[in-house]
Parts: sequence; C-alpha cells; structure tokens
Amino acid sequence: MKQNILLQLHPLTKFYFSLFILVIVLIIPGYSFAFAIFPVLVLIAVFAGVSKEFLSIVLKALLSVLIIVFIMQMFFYPGDHVLWNWGIFSIKQEGVDYGLLLTSRILAIGSSFILFFRMTEVRDFVKSLEDKGLPPMGAYVVLSTLQIIPEMKRQANTIMEAQKTRGVETEGSLLIRAKAFIPTLTPLILSSIAGTEERAITLESRAFSAPVKKTSLHQLTKSNVDRVLPIVYVLIIVGLLVWRFFL
Amino acid sequence: MTVMIDLKNVSYRYPVSDDFVLKNVSFSIEKGKFTAIIGNNGSGKTTLCNTIRGFVPHFYKGDLEGDVIVDQTKILDYQLGQLGEKVGYVFQNPFIQVSGVKDNVFEEVAYGLENLGVPVEEIIVRVEEILKLVKIEHLREKNPFELSGGQRQRVALASIIVMDPEILVIDEPTSQLDPVGTEQIFDIIRLMKERGKTIILVEHKMDLIAEYADDLLVMHEGELVMQGPVREVFANPEFEKYQIQYPHVTEIALQLQKMGTPLAFLPIRDEELAEALNMTGVKIHD
Repeated sequence: MKQNILLQLHPLTKFYFSLFILVIVLIIPGYSFAFAIFPVLVLIAVFAGVSKEFLSIVLKALLSVLIIVFIMQMFFYPGDHVLWNWGIFSIKQEGVDYGLLLTSRILAIGSSFILFFRMTEVRDFVKSLEDKGLPPMGAYVVLSTLQIIPEMKRQANTIMEAQKTRGVETEGSLLIRAKAFIPTLTPLILSSIAGTEERAITLESRAFSAPVKKTSLHQLTKSNVDRVLPIVYVLIIVGLLVWRFFL
Repeated sequence: MTVMIDLKNVSYRYPVSDDFVLKNVSFSIEKGKFTAIIGNNGSGKTTLCNTIRGFVPHFYKGDLEGDVIVDQTKILDYQLGQLGEKVGYVFQNPFIQVSGVKDNVFEEVAYGLENLGVPVEEIIVRVEEILKLVKIEHLREKNPFELSGGQRQRVALASIIVMDPEILVIDEPTSQLDPVGTEQIFDIIRLMKERGKTIILVEHKMDLIAEYADDLLVMHEGELVMQGPVREVFANPEFEKYQIQYPHVTEIALQLQKMGTPLAFLPIRDEELAEALNMTGVKIHD
C-alpha cells in the first residue's frame, strides 16, 4: 500500500511543491499556463492513486467558487470593450480576461494544496513541522483537533439519543429537527469545554510539560529525492524571475 | 524507612468556593507502602490525590494551607512538569484519559515516554513489557477512542505505569471493570508494590483493599478521621460511624458477634472467617 513513490516523499517536499506551484503561477503571466497546471496535477494524483478523492474535492470545493468569481469579474470588471449588453449588465472583454486569469490561478493554487492534503497524512505533515521547530503545543492542537472531531460527533449522537429518551422530538420536518438541535448543541459545547480541563490533566499526567526534549516513535525519512527536489524548485523559480524581470 | 509523602496540616479550598474540601489533613506515607484512601462520595479523596500529584496548587489554584512534601521536597518547589516522572496519576474517568493524538493503543501507551525523552528503542521494549503485564496486547492496533470503559481503564493504567514513577496515585481504577478484570488490576498493583513503588489507591471495593493494602486513610467530609494499618482501622468501633462499607466477611462477622457468637478476632479476609469463629477443624459441607 505504501509503496507509491509519490506518497513516500517527505511531507515537506510535497508541501514545497504546492508552494512552488503557487509561486510559478503568480510569476508567469496569462491564464493559459495556469490552466495547464491543472491537468498536470490530475496526472500526479493519478500516479499517486488519489485521483478520485482529489477530483471530487476539487469539484465540491472549487467549482462553485470559480464560477462565482468568473461571473462577477465578467460583469463588474471595469472596461471599454463591451461584448454583450442586457439592461445594466454588460460583459466586457477585460472582465472576461481578468476572470480567466483569476480563476486559473485559484484553480491551480487551490487544487495544488488539495492535492497536497490528499497525498500527505496530516500527522506526517505536523511531525515534519515539529522537526522544523514547531512547538509541541502547536502540534498537539492540530493533531488533537483531528481526533476530537469524530469523538465529538459520537458524543453528539449520544446526547441526541439521551434527549430523545427525555421526549425531545428529533425526527420529522425540518423545523422539528432544527428545534431539537439547540438542546443537543448546548450540552455538547458545555461538556467539551468541561472536558478540556480533564484533558489538560491527562496530558500533564503523561509528562507533557516535562522539561526535556521529547522523542518520537514516529520518524520521517528523507531520501535523496527529498533533498534534491526543493533545490530544483528554487532553481526554476529563480530562473523564471530572471526571465520575467531581466530579459 | 524513608518517608515518601508527608502532609502537615493541609487545608485546601477550590477557587471561588467558600468551604474547605480538605480540612487540616496530616499523614505520612513510607516508601514502598500500599495505602488505600476510602470514604464516601464527596469526602475529598480525589482532591487529596490531586494534592499529592501537585495538581493542587499548580493546576487548580485556590487556597492551600499547610505543607505537602513529596520525597523530601515541598510540592511548591517542584515544577508541574518535573512531577510527571515522580508521581504517576491514574484518574477516575477513563473516557477522558486518552491523549487524543495517537491512533493506536501502542502509541498511546508510549506517549508518556516520548514526552520524557526516552530513546525510541527503549520505548518499544518498555511498552511491549507493559502491554503484556496489563494484558492488553490484543488491543495494540486499536484506536484508543474505540475502546470500552474497562479497556480504556487498563490502557490508562498501562500508560502511567510504563513511565515507571516512584509513586503511583490511582483513583478508582476498577470502576468499569468486571470482577475478573478487577482482580487483574489488583494483581498489577501488587506487582508494582513488589517493585518498591509507593502506592496510593482510592477504591470502594473493601474486600480487595483488605486483601492487598497495608494502610488505610479514612476521609469524611474533608477530614482525615482515621488512619493506620488496615486491620486496626476496620476493627476500630469508630469506623462504623462513617457509614462506609466493611469488607463483606467483616460485615458478616460483626452481625454474628451481635447475635452472640464469640469471635477470636475480627476477620477482614474471607479465609479468616473460620479461624475467627474457632471452627478451623470443622469441614464445610455442600
């Protein structure tokens, strides 16, 4: 399962790749290049075996944003070359151009980060940040959030059941369900707040604040590729900058 | 014997509370002793544990009077982080005693050692040993959030004893366990005692306390009302006043005594009953 070369890259290598996409998309003018990035990302996703999740998230998260941004720009960007007119609305050539530029960049940058999170386990990413000097406190916050959300979901179900036994109606029309939401939500939030104190004590009893350097069972390995790739990124970016501003 | 834990006239009041939860508590516990704290709900047992662990006053503020001395050093002079290695604390609610950042039981148990900066190879050896000891090897790949109450309680205990603290404070470790699981936990506690740990246990199961513990502290409404070796405390007629359960066999013996049966001594363990009734020669028939 874990034999995929792309997935085995060090999390930071993958993260730098997303940053790299972000930078080159901003450096290179015009929308055709930025649009061309997307098929490349899809190709990478296919190789990494995550194309299905990748595409579905891009569709769900980005498509609507892109359409709205494009339409807004098309109609409201100031310009002189009117292509089409209807009442107070008019589509201008400049608007279409700018809309395409903006959407192409959003698509390239957004999908590169979506791809990053599809290809990287968050705990690996956090670990790599910790190696880079993120304080353990920060790492804990990120990781515990990931685990606590499903836990809270479970708790919400329990509370829902409990309220049901007390006669709170939780099934039926939208209005009834909305009404049942409040008596469920309050105990959930309150108990979560109360739980933080006990969690702090739990961590403390596991020597979380012990004045020593922590070790970790979870180790990340860096291969030669991981050492070379970031340098390649930087070289390409520098090359592009030189080409763009000095030639 | 060296004194491990020493409390002198300790009173404590939680923040924004008017009443003291601990009132003038004094006792000392020697190294290597197994002391049980008993008392009814709300009598201050858990607060007492928090005090020994240093959560009072380092974590819970409020007013602490008197001296708490752990291993010759005042609790106030410790940093909270330092105490983690010295005093292991397994607390009551097993459902919250999960670090929340680990995906499986093995890593969960290893978490404390990681925090203490123990080298990875040593962590693996120690965790393996403890998983075997606490009999949770079969859970090693499970997510800690998906365990039952009893399983979590064992994981919580394992996570603490793996850190090998000198003092173990254990607050009702068997509340979610069946009788077999309870016996196993007590076996582990006994093993810890054999390894020279100083153990403080809060527990309501008097039969087991009578069998395993050395000393008893009886809490009643924030006061330490009785203390001493287990047998003496149970035998003291004053004990009845606090409405705490006796070991079952003691209860029966007292009932028999009331009905006029003479007792050689007050039994606190099941196997002592016959002897106490001077009936050691009599065979039991089904």
